[in-house]
Amino acid sequence: MISSDVIRGYNDTMILYLVLNGPSYGYEISKRIRELTNEKYVMKETTLYSAFKRMESNGYIEAFSGSETNGKPRTYYRITNEGKKYYKEKCEEWEITQEVIEKFILKENDHEYN
Amino acid sequence: MNTIRNYLDNMFLGLPQTEDVTRAKKELLAMMEDKYNELKDSGKTENEAIGIVISEFGNLDELGDTLGIKQVIKNKNDVPIISYEEAKNYIEDSKSTAPKTALGVLLCIISPITMLILIGLREFNFVNVKEDLLIAAGLVVLIILVATGVSYFIKFSSKLEKYDDLKVNLFELDYETEQMVRNVQKQNEQTYKSAVSISVVCYILSALPIIITPLISEVEGLSVLSVAITLIIVALSTYNIINKSSSNEACNVLLQEGDYSVKNKSNKAFQTVSKVYWCVIVAVYLGYSFITNNWAMSWIIWPVAGVLFGAIKAILDVQS
Repeated sequence: MISSDVIRGYNDTMILYLVLNGPSYGYEISKRIRELTNEKYVMKETTLYSAFKRMESNGYIEAFSGSETNGKPRTYYRITNEGKKYYKEKCEEWEITQEVIEKFILKENDHEYN
Repeated sequence: MNTIRNYLDNMFLGLPQTEDVTRAKKELLAMMEDKYNELKDSGKTENEAIGIVISEFGNLDELGDTLGIKQVIKNKNDVPIISYEEAKNYIEDSKSTAPKTALGVLLCIISPITMLILIGLREFNFVNVKEDLLIAAGLVVLIILVATGVSYFIKFSSKLEKYDDLKVNLFELDYETEQMVRNVQKQNEQTYKSAVSISVVCYILSALPIIITPLISEVEGLSVLSVAITLIIVALSTYNIINKSSSNEACNVLLQEGDYSVKNKSNKAFQTVSKVYWCVIVAVYLGYSFITNNWAMSWIIWPVAGVLFGAIKAILDVQS
């Protein structure tokens, strides 16, 4: 599992990605993160919830109550236009971050690596 | 699922019940519940599912900022955590010292008994000595028994002294420790309950000798002897109850339940009152008994004081 320190700055990005195509709720989001990352990253419940609250107060997402066809009542989250904008920014930021860090990472077939 | 609910209740214990906090708790519970149900459906056992859910819950610190209760959470974290070992040692030590403390109490209760028997027998002319001399002899035995009893208290209560903090200060147990303590409590529940009921029945029956003797005979010696029998029954019942309730008591202390609840602990008035109260009762008992020499009746202060203490506790509870 990855250290959560490294990934913290991109928790919001992951969550926003998962509500991009329609509302979702707490457990579904945490489950999809686990599945998409092949269980390499598990977001703790408290991390997820504090991200919800932070993004809600920043106006990136909105909470509303609803329920699945036969399920129990749940708090759902949907992305706002503000949130979509922020998501795009984060994606661009990541491209650059990745490009920058990449320069400093040794690859196994590099001759300096031994 | 109850375990998870308890775990979450514990995490939120002592936090202000603001709307934000209540909502956070509700949503976290919903997430944990979903995860738990799915783990169960995927074939995990109850314990595995609970273990995974709790290990992936995270840390309440993260919510401090978002819920506007950062300071409260920080203070809550200052509460010490009692380790598994400490909890186990406390239960063991309580169990091992209980019989000796109980013996100390027993000795104190039966301390006037020699005097009663001597006085009783004198009425039957079995013992042909001056009454003053008998009382003196009885007092010597009384003092020796009380001294022995008290020395037991001091010796064995000093063994438990290092745990005194647990009774007055707040602390927390981790999940594993709490489960262990609850198991011990469950195992001892039956023993404790039957000990209490046996002792209560004995306490009630202990009045019988005093009530019945005057009906059978007018001889005064007999009624004095009947008090001795009553004292023996009371002493044995008390010994039994102290001995058998020790681990239950220790569990209550560790789980912060009953007399040691978080509510009672924050009620400092109650703690002071109870200390003063029992010192006064002991002083009154000894003072009255030595001055009037009415040892045959003065013991009655103990049951009366016990019931009165319950009343005082109830009043203080209402006030707080």
